[in-house]
Amino acid sequence: MTLVLDMLTTAAILYGVAAGLLIVFGVMKIINFAHGAFLTVGGYAALLVTHLGWNPWWSLPVAFAVGGACGAIVERLVMKPLYKRPLDAILATWGLAIVIGQCITLVFDRGVQFVQSPLTGAIDFLGISYSSYRLFVIPLSLAVVGLLGWMMNGSRLGLVTRAVIMNEDLARALGINTGMVRLATFSLGAGLAGLAGALITPLSSVDPNMGVPWLVNAFMIVMVSGVSLVSLGVACLVLGSAQVLVSTWANPILGGLTIVVLAAVILRVRPEGFARA
Amino acid sequence: MLVAPEVLPTYLVNTLIRAFLYAAVAITVDILWGFTGILTFGQSAFFGFGAYAAALVFTHAGFGPGLALIAFGVAIVGAMLLALLVGWFAFHPGASPLYGSVITLVLPIVVSQLLYSGGSFTGSSSGLSGFESFDLSLEAWFRIAGVFLIATTAGVWLFLRSDGGRILEAIRDNEQRCEYLGIDVSRVKILLMMACGAIASCAGFLFACVQMVVAPEYAGFAFGTELLMWVALGGRGTLIGPLIGTLLLDTSTSYLSGSLPFLWKLLSGLAFVVVIVALPQGLLPALASAIRRAWRRGAPASVAPTAEVELHSADPQPLAGLASAGRLALSVKDVHKRFGSLQVLRGIGFAVRPNELLSLIGPNGAGKTTLMRCIADGAERSSGTVRLNDHDIRHSSPAACVALGAGRKFQNANVFDSLTVAQSMRVARTRLKRPSLWRRERALALPTAALEVMRATGLDRQLHVASRDLSHGMKQALELAMVLALEPSVLLLDEPTAGLTKAERTLIGRILLDLTQSHTLCVLLVEHDLDFVHEISTRIIVLHQGQIVLDGSVEEVVNSDLVREIYAGAATPGAHG
Amino acid sequence: MRTSNRLFATMLAVLAAPLGTQSAAAQDKAPVVIGTAVGLSGANSVVAPSVVQATQLAIDEINAAGGILGRKVVLEVADDGSGAAGAQKAYDSLLFQKKVDAVISMETSAARNAALPIVTRARKPFIYTSFYEGRSCNRNMFINAWVPEQQVASVVDYFSSKLNTKSYFLVGSDYAFGRGMLEFTRKYILAKGQKVVGEEYLPMDGSDWTAIVSKLKASGADALISSTAGGAPNVTLTKQLRAAGVTVPFGNLAVDEGTAKSMGSDGKDVYTAGSYYTSIDTPRNKEFLAAMGKRFGAEMKTPNDLSVPQYEAVWAYKLAVDKAGSLDTDKVLKALGEVSFNGPRGAIKMDKQHHAALNMYLGQVQADGSVKILETFQGVDPGAQCPNLK
Repeated sequence: MTLVLDMLTTAAILYGVAAGLLIVFGVMKIINFAHGAFLTVGGYAALLVTHLGWNPWWSLPVAFAVGGACGAIVERLVMKPLYKRPLDAILATWGLAIVIGQCITLVFDRGVQFVQSPLTGAIDFLGISYSSYRLFVIPLSLAVVGLLGWMMNGSRLGLVTRAVIMNEDLARALGINTGMVRLATFSLGAGLAGLAGALITPLSSVDPNMGVPWLVNAFMIVMVSGVSLVSLGVACLVLGSAQVLVSTWANPILGGLTIVVLAAVILRVRPEGFARA
Repeated sequence: MLVAPEVLPTYLVNTLIRAFLYAAVAITVDILWGFTGILTFGQSAFFGFGAYAAALVFTHAGFGPGLALIAFGVAIVGAMLLALLVGWFAFHPGASPLYGSVITLVLPIVVSQLLYSGGSFTGSSSGLSGFESFDLSLEAWFRIAGVFLIATTAGVWLFLRSDGGRILEAIRDNEQRCEYLGIDVSRVKILLMMACGAIASCAGFLFACVQMVVAPEYAGFAFGTELLMWVALGGRGTLIGPLIGTLLLDTSTSYLSGSLPFLWKLLSGLAFVVVIVALPQGLLPALASAIRRAWRRGAPASVAPTAEVELHSADPQPLAGLASAGRLALSVKDVHKRFGSLQVLRGIGFAVRPNELLSLIGPNGAGKTTLMRCIADGAERSSGTVRLNDHDIRHSSPAACVALGAGRKFQNANVFDSLTVAQSMRVARTRLKRPSLWRRERALALPTAALEVMRATGLDRQLHVASRDLSHGMKQALELAMVLALEPSVLLLDEPTAGLTKAERTLIGRILLDLTQSHTLCVLLVEHDLDFVHEISTRIIVLHQGQIVLDGSVEEVVNSDLVREIYAGAATPGAHG
Repeated sequence: MRTSNRLFATMLAVLAAPLGTQSAAAQDKAPVVIGTAVGLSGANSVVAPSVVQATQLAIDEINAAGGILGRKVVLEVADDGSGAAGAQKAYDSLLFQKKVDAVISMETSAARNAALPIVTRARKPFIYTSFYEGRSCNRNMFINAWVPEQQVASVVDYFSSKLNTKSYFLVGSDYAFGRGMLEFTRKYILAKGQKVVGEEYLPMDGSDWTAIVSKLKASGADALISSTAGGAPNVTLTKQLRAAGVTVPFGNLAVDEGTAKSMGSDGKDVYTAGSYYTSIDTPRNKEFLAAMGKRFGAEMKTPNDLSVPQYEAVWAYKLAVDKAGSLDTDKVLKALGEVSFNGPRGAIKMDKQHHAALNMYLGQVQADGSVKILETFQGVDPGAQCPNLK
């Protein structure tokens, strides 16, 4: 039972982390390698909340806001020339990640720090006791992604965004302000990354490089899952579970490799991955 | 080089030894990325592989001349095998460049994580240290590393300026055109990766021997991206740029990261972003051209004069073991093509003999280009058989179809922008005559068909002009000449007259007629210009909504009511008798 | 807060830089430069500020008393990133660029192993001040911190006799220290006739202990013994254990008081053993704590088992140089094995094959992060660590 919960909570965490990257990739067709840096920004926002002595629950919305703000600044300043050059976009956003990381270090110092968890302790259910915070991540991730999905399918912004995804030139010809759509999307993606960062720090720690391992895993999952939120969920579930299984039965280091290797193999065999699964 | 280590302070000597080895690896990154267009994060993995090969052997088996040789062998051979595996994943036919880069990103992560999981065998997080190594002074190592760097640079430079090096540029410019010239692009990339992997592994081996400490970080993702940074800042595709860039940046980092750790990294990160976004050619070249401009006040940078080239006529090389005149050059049976639920081609069947000039006409969307693709690429069609010179193409790649006799010319002028006419022709000839890997040959032997095209269009007087500087008509002619250099027996031309002037069109028409009459090839032509078709074809096939509606002589088709109605838009196939 | 400490260290580095490169002609007036490599980033960064403070206090006290051989003492700090690759750069910089006279450092074993070849090449004295897995031997290196022979027994004995535990689960960071400590622990447990039901490792920088925690719970072990890298891994492991509701006796072989404070309420009831806790009741320790408080005021970081040996090592170096009469490496190395310094941990002499006999304490972490001492052991011998070194 613990194993199943481990798999579900890991999948939920991955879902939260990858959702932002997927949105950006889906709308703008570029991979944002600064995603890990936005994650880190969210983690440090949570740290700030702890230092200020506020209720730890505040770290989530604060991280979202701060992440979104950073994303908006980056989009306006840097992203425009890169939209036609996806491979260069990877490199430039990686450079940005370094810049953001160094700015964080200048302000917060490079040491490892810790954040207060909003939920402590374990709860007993179904015969075992399990970390309540980890359990809480499941409904939170689902809520965030559910909100996202509702926005995409039920709101005007969502409709417009889907139009841009399908055919940007046509959308622009029809008078849709694609520049605004890009700004909104990128900021949303960054905000989600920040939120995810605040989500994961109570479980571990905060340091300027915390985003990197998450970035690579999220990136591979997004590659494998196509463009829909549903297939992203499926990918997170399958790959996250595989990671937990390998970590438990073999060793945790190989477990860390599972997502990355499995994704590469899946793409070799079926280049569309989980899309239209 | 000989004097420097005695004169320079020890710290600088130590730093430079490392920088020399890193620069060698950076050069391999430049070959792959700058010259061939493969964005690779993975050269660090090969570096780490070589380093750990040395460390593992020396730690667990001891040190000695024999063992050192074994370790070196493991480093080089192992790296090449690893590169083969990576290449098989990254460059498989149909892989997108993004997928290739993803694999090169996965590689260092996998390698460094495997090192972390190796427990006390690989030392895990501690790495390996304290093993015995060659007992040489720091000064001697400086010279060894320096010589290694110089040798690598010289070898690579020789290769890149040779005729063989042009193939890399061709791949970078236009991979598809290379495939359709019979060049097995996957194989070239894999071989390149193996060579670069071996060089990087050698650098890693030397690194372990001089530093006597190895850690998983040296095989990791962060180092791999740092290499990319050095190459980008130094100037990708210039060879010297990455070399100088790496030396300068790595040395500066060693000195500055102690006193200004954050600021320095911040500045380099910023510079990297600026370079990628705004100065893709790199900082050093941008600086160089700015200086040059200030110096000469606006004189354009001259194109380096290329070697003199002489055109000769090549001995014809009939397709070994394949069909010759008399049998069917092309046979298409019951070919269908579906995109999901959309049927684009239905039950296509016809046969072509050598010396026929067959034109394929039909309104837009009839499936003409799709049919061309199905003939030249075995993976395209959904069902049916295509035989080239009586050989079933099955699922052969475009390069394999070229070997069976197909030569495809695309609709838009599909050439190699940065190569000159002569260089392009030599690349086109690659399948039949391997270009040298270190020399630039003067003689360029081409089949008479290609030579005729070049002479008739004046390309033979523009041998040293870069393809991007040619007029549209000349580009079309160049592409035709390149395809003819393959000595195809089935020439597939997709709208060869698109965008040409009347004079150019007449010229092309005459050439095509001449080709079918005096050489053993057949031509399959897709065209919209019905007058042109009328003048030169021996036979016409009309395609409408994915089916053949008429297949006959020029007279039959031109006078057919059905065809008139199709072009006017009123008819559907089978509605009339 | 952290900011001022960082500024502090940077200022020191900037001030010391020009001083470190003076030519031999001005030798007599040139300061004695002591280099220290610490993990300003990475796993050990939690502890680093306290280590730098302790070192600085010792240097200030020595300078106030006239310096070494009448010359001022200056500190050079380098960041080793808590790991092997970083240590290479840090030691290269300290020994060859800044040209320090001695290196006195507390480091992860990964960093120490990477540093030793460089120290050997530079032929300078190196005092290693961190507890570690033992058996690291180098002509130039002296160690004034404890090894497993001095520490593990107290924890395991206490668990088995006072808490009646019979089966143990071992968790560590995957590098020389983690594996070395747990290898010793396993042997000790088996020799007592008890059981080891699991042994798991994560890389030094790993922070996701989920699978390991689940395995621990599934194994039904009576007790958990951990040996992770210094700072961050200790905290993440403890947090995740407590979040998962693990309450079996938890003996942490590698946690210091400063890190325990960072764990907050999660650290309560963790058992630990070491050679220094602030609650040691001796006049010398009280004097030391007062001096630290006076020097650093509100900025003071809790002195701990990784920072106090650093303080004592700097003083031991001064005494050794005084005894040798010069900075000559061979003379100083000989003297280091002969001098005894009376510090917060008592009188310490590094005369046991470059290691030292130490007073050890078994303690339990309290809710406020302090450590209550349960048992005391005087003058525990390190055993035969380096039989080939005199």
